[in-house]
Amino acid sequence: MKVLLVDDERLARNELRRLLAAHADLEIVGEAVDVEDALAKIPVLKPALIFLDVQMPGADGFSLLERLEPPLPQVIFTTAYDEFAVKAFEFSALDYLLKPVDPNRLVAALEKLRPRGSAETFEPGSGTHRLTLEDKVFVREGERCWFVPVKNLRLLESEGNYTRLYFDDQKPQLFRSLTAMEERLDPKGFFRANRKQVINLAWVDGIEPWFSGGLLVKLKGGMKVELSRRQAQDFRERMSL
Amino acid sequence: MSFAPPAARATPDVLAVPPLGVVRSSVKMDTAMDPSARLQRAKERLYVLCQAGGWVFFLVLQIVFIALFRDKDTAGKATQADIVLSLVRVVAEGILITHYVRIYLTRWGWKDLGWRPLIPRIIGMALAMSAIWTAAGFALDFGLLRIDSPTKYPLWLLMTSSLVNGAIMMTGWLCLYFFYHLFERLNRLQVGQLQLAATVKEAELRALKSQVNPHFLFNSLNSLRALIDEDAPRAREAVTRLANMLRYSLQSGQQETVPLEEEIRIVEDYLALEQIRHENRLRVRWEIAENVRSGALAVPPMLLQTLVENAVKYGISTRRDGGELVISTCLEGAALNIRVTNPGDLSAPASPAAARAGSSTGVGLRNASERLKLLFGERAALTLLAEPPGCVTADVLIPLNPPAR
Repeated sequence: MKVLLVDDERLARNELRRLLAAHADLEIVGEAVDVEDALAKIPVLKPALIFLDVQMPGADGFSLLERLEPPLPQVIFTTAYDEFAVKAFEFSALDYLLKPVDPNRLVAALEKLRPRGSAETFEPGSGTHRLTLEDKVFVREGERCWFVPVKNLRLLESEGNYTRLYFDDQKPQLFRSLTAMEERLDPKGFFRANRKQVINLAWVDGIEPWFSGGLLVKLKGGMKVELSRRQAQDFRERMSL
Repeated sequence: MSFAPPAARATPDVLAVPPLGVVRSSVKMDTAMDPSARLQRAKERLYVLCQAGGWVFFLVLQIVFIALFRDKDTAGKATQADIVLSLVRVVAEGILITHYVRIYLTRWGWKDLGWRPLIPRIIGMALAMSAIWTAAGFALDFGLLRIDSPTKYPLWLLMTSSLVNGAIMMTGWLCLYFFYHLFERLNRLQVGQLQLAATVKEAELRALKSQVNPHFLFNSLNSLRALIDEDAPRAREAVTRLANMLRYSLQSGQQETVPLEEEIRIVEDYLALEQIRHENRLRVRWEIAENVRSGALAVPPMLLQTLVENAVKYGISTRRDGGELVISTCLEGAALNIRVTNPGDLSAPASPAAARAGSSTGVGLRNASERLKLLFGERAALTLLAEPPGCVTADVLIPLNPPAR
């Protein structure tokens, strides 16, 4: 599995390198010193796993994930001491290691993510191919953050240059436009209901006729979305297929 | 033997004088008020209560007096009801006068005056109020209502006695009013002092807790772990420096001041450890004046350390290419001047990460400033300056001969 180390401190990267030497199946393909550097290197090096320091000059580790084009590589955060970050990790069940890293904890973290891996064929951050239902989107709001599987997204709603994501009982804002998101979603699974909303077809619960030839689509979980007459026609064709 | 202008017929609707202005407008406000507004409202209510209660008490007392000791000679023309009505009118005038005077007392800031300037003002004001009261009463009774004097005494005597009685009444009113405010001011002062004491205690606790920055500690340990393989002698040296720092921060918490020389040694240890982490991103320039080195000067423990740590956090850690810290100390007149300069922008909003990381040092700086003032008095100062251009400088001034605490 290809690994990228992201940390601003040379000694910290060296230390991680030494610890990872014990794991023969990991290949360290590169190092990045901050978020900009990582953003440039990830599409080229295509790591399946990144070790990501939280506190770095410029932008923090979380913002790398926000700015990276999905699908995202697997991530193990590293931090020396940061109460806020640790709270975020535990809330979101993200993998993290505290520096100095305990080798046993490193083993446990690697064990945990191995079964997930479609590791060898993985191409993160390329921004070209469509997202599958299993791919994850990273989103952060305040002190909370989530890796949301695409299949869990019920509704995406445009808010200017941002998109509000609806999943579970959360609705955080993603730093990406709805149009940009729509281009990455599988058109078989997602449908542009109107100017502002994209719905996940797997979450459609019921359909009602609406004003002037439009439709009202009910989603599981209780949300309702209006379709104009033109969109409704497209929608009927799609659903009858 | 009434205290005020003589009796006459009048409508007794005057007791219903509404509590004017302020109260009426504040009634519109809802329950969703902030505490200070609620306090203000409670005070207004108290005022209305005292005002109404006091005057009603005065009125009842007068009526009782007249009923008990009524002078048979003066009763010739006026009936009992006339006298009561007249008293009611007198009281109403009193309420109106005091109510409007109160507005001016606030406007002129008399509430904040001490007793000495207040006494002549109270007397003067009482005379003025009494004059208006008397004039209003006589004008209403004899001028407007054209009531004949019910007594055998001449008018000038009645007016003089009314003036004196009124002045005594109004002095009483003003004294009560200012007594209340003086008492309240005293109360506020005490509360303020208690709050100050609590802040100081809290600062002391925070100072104790924030002495070793855990983020620094664990990052240093992490670099050390890497350094053991890479450069063993340097790793050994770093362990010693870290031990020095920990020992110092544990011990110095109990002391009020430490020699500047000792504090400088610890900062050197600290910077050496940070240099292991940040390598050539952290550059340091020391400018210690000779007379400072030899001067055996006392500083609060961890003061310079806090400033330097802050400078590293904002000036170095957040910058990809790091920068140079300048630490300079010199004697400036009768004060020790310590300056720590780092590259940075004082007005720039901190990035979320820096804000999170920095929240503890913001406290650290505030702490340091509080401690300085506690130890060295008001002349001691810690200021953050946006100079030289592109840099932030923490500037500390410690008087060499602090006032005795």
